[in-house]
Amino acid sequence: MNTKNVKTFGILFIISLLLMSLAAQCAGSAEPQVVEKVVTVEVEKEVEVEKIVTVEVEKEVEVEKIVTKEVEKEVMVGNFSSASRAVEEAKQYAGTTLNVVWEAGLQSQDPLTMGPQWEALTGIKINVIELSYNDIYSNQLQDHLTGGGSYDVITFSPLWLIDFVNAGVVEPLNPYIEKYMNPADLEDYLPVYGAEGYARLGDTWYGLPDDGDVFVLYYRKDLFEDPDNMAEFKAEYGYDLAPPKTWQEFDDIGNFFTNKYAPDLYGGAIQRLEGQVYSFWYGPFSGNGGQFFDPDTMEPLINSDVGVQTLTEMVNQNKWMPPGVEKWGFVEVLSAWMDGQLAMVITWPPIGRWSAGYGATVEQLAWVPSTKVAGKVGYVPPPGRPTLAGGFSLGISPDSKNKEAAYLFIQWMNSPEISLQRVMLPYALRDPFRLSHFESPLYASLWPDAPEYLETLKEGALKGQFELGIPGAREYAEAVDNAATAAMAGTDPQEALDTAAQRWADITERLGLEQQKENYRLWLEGPWNKPGPEVELP
Amino acid sequence: MEDGLELAPTVEGPYSKIKFSRKRLTPWLFVAPCLIIILLVTIFPTIYSLGLSFTRWEIALPDKPFIGLGNYIQLFQDSRFTHSILVTAIVVVVGVSVELALGFGLAQTLVAEMRGKRIIVAALLLPVMVMPVVVGYTWRLLWDAQYGPINQIIGWIIGRPFHYTWLAKPPTAIFAILVTEIWQWTPFMFLVFLSGLSTLDPELFEAADIDGASGWEKFYHLTIPLMRPILIVAVLIRGLDALKFFDIIFTLTGGGPGNSTETISFYIYQTGYQFFRLGYGAAASFVLLIALVIILTYLLKLFRATSE
Repeated sequence: MNTKNVKTFGILFIISLLLMSLAAQCAGSAEPQVVEKVVTVEVEKEVEVEKIVTVEVEKEVEVEKIVTKEVEKEVMVGNFSSASRAVEEAKQYAGTTLNVVWEAGLQSQDPLTMGPQWEALTGIKINVIELSYNDIYSNQLQDHLTGGGSYDVITFSPLWLIDFVNAGVVEPLNPYIEKYMNPADLEDYLPVYGAEGYARLGDTWYGLPDDGDVFVLYYRKDLFEDPDNMAEFKAEYGYDLAPPKTWQEFDDIGNFFTNKYAPDLYGGAIQRLEGQVYSFWYGPFSGNGGQFFDPDTMEPLINSDVGVQTLTEMVNQNKWMPPGVEKWGFVEVLSAWMDGQLAMVITWPPIGRWSAGYGATVEQLAWVPSTKVAGKVGYVPPPGRPTLAGGFSLGISPDSKNKEAAYLFIQWMNSPEISLQRVMLPYALRDPFRLSHFESPLYASLWPDAPEYLETLKEGALKGQFELGIPGAREYAEAVDNAATAAMAGTDPQEALDTAAQRWADITERLGLEQQKENYRLWLEGPWNKPGPEVELP
Repeated sequence: MEDGLELAPTVEGPYSKIKFSRKRLTPWLFVAPCLIIILLVTIFPTIYSLGLSFTRWEIALPDKPFIGLGNYIQLFQDSRFTHSILVTAIVVVVGVSVELALGFGLAQTLVAEMRGKRIIVAALLLPVMVMPVVVGYTWRLLWDAQYGPINQIIGWIIGRPFHYTWLAKPPTAIFAILVTEIWQWTPFMFLVFLSGLSTLDPELFEAADIDGASGWEKFYHLTIPLMRPILIVAVLIRGLDALKFFDIIFTLTGGGPGNSTETISFYIYQTGYQFFRLGYGAAASFVLLIALVIILTYLLKLFRATSE
């Protein structure tokens, strides 16, 4: 290639990159940007908004300072502070560096914010290793299997706990807890997050529960309380328009709003993207009365009438959801919701905070579309049993050379006072998981509807359903995920679930029928593991 | 020592033996670092994973027993694996054939000197320069049901909003994958063929013109036979690459809906790196390797026969 060619090629390459980014911008925007007039008043308004934003940011920084002090005053469970104890004990390890695995993106803003504080207190440096959700599982396993010892602090979802324990990826924490932690802190977890299968198996703690992930149904109060909507809905369906308590009501309400407002607004949306959709099947299936296996024979029961009914309901809901919802993940749902294009969504807790405008001015959330629904959002648990989907616990690697320091760091992070600060970080994705979080007046004062939000998270979690967490959990989940996406692509739900059930049977047989039967029996001992319309507390 | 030059010893004896073995050793010392690296990063892992493929290595099982050909037998009873072979075959056969035809057509058109040729050639080469993952995510936006430009353009043509979810239905998902793959790799074929066509002797074509050969006759009896070695090499490179097709599947469909767009590589990734069934994943990798070797051998044989 001569110089002229290189130049031509270079220019074209740059032009194409610009065109691609332009295309991406166009494709990503919710609606075509039509600039009608450039009005001076608008510019003035914008300048005004900018000033307000600056003042708000200053306020938030101020609030952050106050919060830190208040939190220290407000929260201390029991007779001594686990956080202070961790700091005192950790000082002897000053100068060491801890490699801490965390989910990439917004999640990592949490240790990136708290790490320097810990370093200032103890002299221990925190090196955050950001990994995608799936890579957290694979990389930590690989590292242990190859004897790498690259990580000191590890993180895991309840879904992976049993696999990690079997593979020896997580160190039992009981000796450290007994030595350093205020025992009252263990009682401070919301029972569901301190339960069997989340971070502990039997009496052995393999991690400290660190996240309160549960699905919440968010709805537009302004639309639900609109007199015209109420009257029209009642006339059409024969009952009052109110947040849905059953999946039939959810379907009716979704249909009603889509029929009335589409394409400007749709009845709702739920993540249907491959790799995420299975989480939205577990809870409804359990709430509808489904059972995963026959505990005596380990015959899969997911293709039962209840399973088919649940999947059929999901497929039917897509009909009144926005076009292309089958490929929607968290970001698509978030964008449409914040833009005011949806009447209801079911998803994870952070969306509730952001749609209220909490943290709207922080730099880390600059990519989140500005909320058009602040003050209009109501919160209720989804019908039936909400899925306790995802969630994280903090553990330490048995291959770490700094186990003691690693444990002290997670004890500090997880302590009532520090964890309250963390769940209040507007840009982090950790959700309340301690009783003291749910009872915190400080949290309740963060935005006008925060008390209702906290109450909903707690209520939803306490009647929630965990995803199946026996060995091979990821494979079982993937089979359900494939069945759901296949059904949404047109396969008969019965046929899709029959295929999934066959895969479940194959996985069970491969991993040992008797062994899996015993694992399932043990897993069912967790009240929030056991499927069924109601949580059966011991 | 004479004039500062050292003379080679001429006497027979132990000294010459040392020199002889040094002479033999020296080249080995030069290639040793390279050999060690190859042994460490290629040969050892290959042998290790071959061993792995004869075991039931599962993350959820405490024992990793030797099961002989168990994994291989199970693979061919596994409908998901056989389906992934089918999807891979579709990508290789349809994808590479269309790339071959389009690439050859474009090269044939652009081999002659014309105005703006440089710009067109440079523009055509751009897709090859973009990373497949970026291509996958970009096309994902293009195929988007609600905001994707493809649906937008179709909507303009038919005069009403068009919101088809291309990536959520098996036939159109495969179609979308093929279009994306063809868009990215046709330029590679084009480049190879363009350079090949540029080297053909124009005198042969002039002679054919004098003999009154038609355009089709020249193409069929001259261009194709002369280009055959290049065609085979291009198909060989693209075919082998397409057999390992992964990135675009990963970013565009994630193997879905259901398992409908899973290729062999994607299935191996799922089995080995997502579910940690390392024995089974290793066996699947060796099946892919054997398939690659068979195709490679056949194509090389064809290439040799053509060259002769």
